[in-house]
Amino acid sequence: MTAAPSNHIARITVRTAPEPVVVDELITETADRLFGELCTHEAVQAAEDIGGAPEIWQAFCETGFDLIAVPENAGGSGGTLAEAIEVLRLVGYHSAPIPAAENGILGGWLLAEAGLERPDGLVTVIPPRATEGGWSGGGTCSVSLNGDGTAVLSGEAHRVPWARSAEAIVCVCECNGTSMVVSVPASECTITPLPNMAGEPRDTVNFDGATGQAAPAPTGVEAGALAQRGALSRVALMAGAIEKMCQLTVSYTNERVQFGRPVARFQAVQQHLVWAAQDAALVRMAAEVAAREATRGDAPFEIAAAKLVANQAAARATKACHQAHGAMGMTQEYPLHHFSRRLWSWRKEYGSDAHWSAVLGEMATGVGADGLYPLITSGTAALG
Amino acid sequence: MRFTPTELTGPELDLQAEVREFLASELPPGTHEPCLGMAADHDRQFSAKMAARGWVGMALPSRWGGSDRTAVQRFIVVEEMLRWGAPVGHHWVADRQTGNVILKFGTDEQRERFLPPICRGELGFSIGMSEPDSGSDLASVSTRAERADDGWVVNGTKIWTSNAHMNDWFICLLRTAPMEDGNKHAGLSQFLIDLRSPGLEISPIPFLDGSHHFNEVTFHDVFVPDINVVGQPGMGWHQNTTEMAYERGGPDRWLSPFSTVEQLLREASGTPMEDAVSDLFGELAARWWGIRNLSLSVARLIDEGEAPSVESALVKEMGTRYEQEVVEKLVQLIDEEYSPESESLFERLLAQCVVTFPGNTIRGGTIEILRSVASKGLQGLPA
Repeated sequence: MTAAPSNHIARITVRTAPEPVVVDELITETADRLFGELCTHEAVQAAEDIGGAPEIWQAFCETGFDLIAVPENAGGSGGTLAEAIEVLRLVGYHSAPIPAAENGILGGWLLAEAGLERPDGLVTVIPPRATEGGWSGGGTCSVSLNGDGTAVLSGEAHRVPWARSAEAIVCVCECNGTSMVVSVPASECTITPLPNMAGEPRDTVNFDGATGQAAPAPTGVEAGALAQRGALSRVALMAGAIEKMCQLTVSYTNERVQFGRPVARFQAVQQHLVWAAQDAALVRMAAEVAAREATRGDAPFEIAAAKLVANQAAARATKACHQAHGAMGMTQEYPLHHFSRRLWSWRKEYGSDAHWSAVLGEMATGVGADGLYPLITSGTAALG
Repeated sequence: MRFTPTELTGPELDLQAEVREFLASELPPGTHEPCLGMAADHDRQFSAKMAARGWVGMALPSRWGGSDRTAVQRFIVVEEMLRWGAPVGHHWVADRQTGNVILKFGTDEQRERFLPPICRGELGFSIGMSEPDSGSDLASVSTRAERADDGWVVNGTKIWTSNAHMNDWFICLLRTAPMEDGNKHAGLSQFLIDLRSPGLEISPIPFLDGSHHFNEVTFHDVFVPDINVVGQPGMGWHQNTTEMAYERGGPDRWLSPFSTVEQLLREASGTPMEDAVSDLFGELAARWWGIRNLSLSVARLIDEGEAPSVESALVKEMGTRYEQEVVEKLVQLIDEEYSPESESLFERLLAQCVVTFPGNTIRGGTIEILRSVASKGLQGLPA
C-alpha cells in the first residue's frame, strides 16, 4: 500500500467559496400566508374527493408563484430555483393539493428551455422512468416528427400528476438519438384517472397519435436532468410535510392526557418526538442545501443525497408520528394523514432508495478512499 | 428549533485545505493505524504540532494563548482530524470543553495558569462526573469537598474516568453542601484537581476488550487549594450543564466510524465491487452529508451568539445512533468473522467498532437523557 502524495490531497480540496444564494423572504411569507388561509383540513379533504382544488390553484396563480423560476421572457415570473423550491416546501407544509412543481420548475422549465409556447392553462409533465444506468424520458411512449415542426406521440404514460386538469402534457422523448421536448394538448389524449395514496391525481395518459409541438432539448435538459429537478421538487415537498407532521405530533402529545399527564412526558413518547424532529431538520437541511447548489449549477450529488435522505426519513418519521398519535392518527377527521400519505407517495416518485443509492455509490467509489470525505464536505464540486 | 443552512467561506476553505495538507504530510493515508474518532491515541508530540499551528484551544482569546478563532474554524480542524483518525486524545477534552469552562467561569489567575499551556497542547484533562451510585442522575454525586484552611479536603470515588492514568488534571463535580430537599442541584461545585495530588489514587477499570481506558479515582483526604475552585461554590450544576453543551453536536458525535469506512473503500479498490457494497458507500456518503450540514449549522449558530442546546442534543442523539448504524451495515456486508488482530486493517477497525461503539450512545450523556433534554426544548416545557 503506498502513501498518497500530499499534493494529491490538496488537489481534491475545493477551495473557492461561491456566491451566496438568497431567498426573498417576502415570497415565503406570502406563500405561507396564502396556503395557511386556503389549505384547511376540510379544503384538502375536499380536493381529494373531487381530484383537484381549482380555487386554491387559481389563488396560487394570481400570486405569480405558479411560474416562479421560469424566466420572464418565457412568460414566467422570474425568481430563482431556490425560491421556487421554498414555495414547494410550503406546498408540502400545508399539503396544498396543487401541481405547483409540474406547472413551474418541471413543465414550465422544459417549455422555456426548448423555446416552446406555453398554454394559458395548467402544464404537467410525464415523469421519467428509471432505467438501467439512466432515465427514459417519455415512459413507454414514443415520438415521431412531422416535417412542419409538429410531433406525434404514441403509447401510454403512467402516473402523470394532475393530467385530468392539464391543458398541456410535456415530456422529454428520444427521437432518432436526439432528446426532444414534446408538448401535446391534453385534449388530444385519453386520460384515465388514478389517485396516489394521498388521493392526488396520478393519471394514465394514452396518446394514440396525439399531435403537438416538439423542439430539440438543449444540453442539460435531458431526461436525467428532468429527473433530478423532479427529485429536488419531491425533497422540498417532503421537507415541508415532515416538518408539519412533526409539529402536529408535538402539539398532540402535549394536549393528550393519559395516566394523569400529557403523553409527551413519557420517555417512550419523547423518543418518537425527538426522532421525528431530527428527520424534519435533516430533510429541510437537505432540501435547502440541494436547492442552493442546483440554483448555482449542476448538483447531481446533492440532489441524489437529498432524495435518498428524504426517502429514508419519510419512512422513519411517518412511523414515529403515527405511533405517537395512537388511534387518533388513524382517523380521517384528524389531519395527520394529509402529510403521512403524501410522504408515502412522494418517497416513491423520482427515484427510489435503491436508485439513488446506486447513483451515489458510483460517485463515492469513483472518487476513491482519499476523495470520500471531500465528497461529503464539498459535494458535486469534489467530483471534478 | 431551526438549523439554518450554512457553508464555508473562502478563508474557512483555506483552513480546511491547510489541515488536509498537514495531515497528508504527518499521517499519509494508508501508512498509519487510524484511531476511531475521539477515543484517539494520546500523543503529546502530535498535540504539540497541532498547537504550533494554532489548532488547540483555537477558539480561546489570544490574550490567554488562544487564536481568537471561531466555532466553525474549530469544527473544520476537528472534523478533519477525526475523519483522518488522528491521535488527538491528549488535548481532546481540554480543547473541547475544559478550556471553555475556565475561560467562562474561572479567575484571571486560573486563566493565566491553565489556558496558555492548554493552547500549547501540553495539558491533558480528565472529567470527574460519574460515581459508583451516580451516572445519568448526576445531581446525586456524593464525593464531597469539605472546608479546610485555604482550601478543601476531598473524599470519595469517581469511576469510569477516561484516561486519568495519562492525563495531568481533573475537572471534578463535587458536593460542597448537603443535598437540600427540593433542590438537588444546589450544593455542587467544580474543582480543578492535580491528578498527582497526594492521597489521589488511580486504578484501572479494564474496558470490555481488556484495554486501559477507564479508571477509578479515589480521594483520601486530598487537599485542593481555594485557587482551584472554578467559579462560585454551589454553582457547579449550572457550570457543569454549560460545559456539557460544549460536548454535544460536534463531529466527534458522528464521525467515529469514518476511517473504518474509508479503509474498506481503500482495500476494496482495484477489485470488482458488488452492487450492495457500492450502494452502501453511496448511502453512507449521503447520510454523512446531511448530518454534517446540521452539525456545521450548530457551530455557526454558536458563532452568531446563540445557545443551540436543543439543536446540539438532537444532533448528538442522531449522530451517535448513526455511528452504530454504520457499523451494523458494515457487519452485514462481511460473510465471516473478523478479528481485532486480522491482517486487514479494515477488519481490525471493524472489530474495534463492534466492541467499543455501544459506548458511543452513552458517553457524555446517554441518548435517553438527551431525548429528555431535546423533547422538553421542542415543547417549550420547563427543563
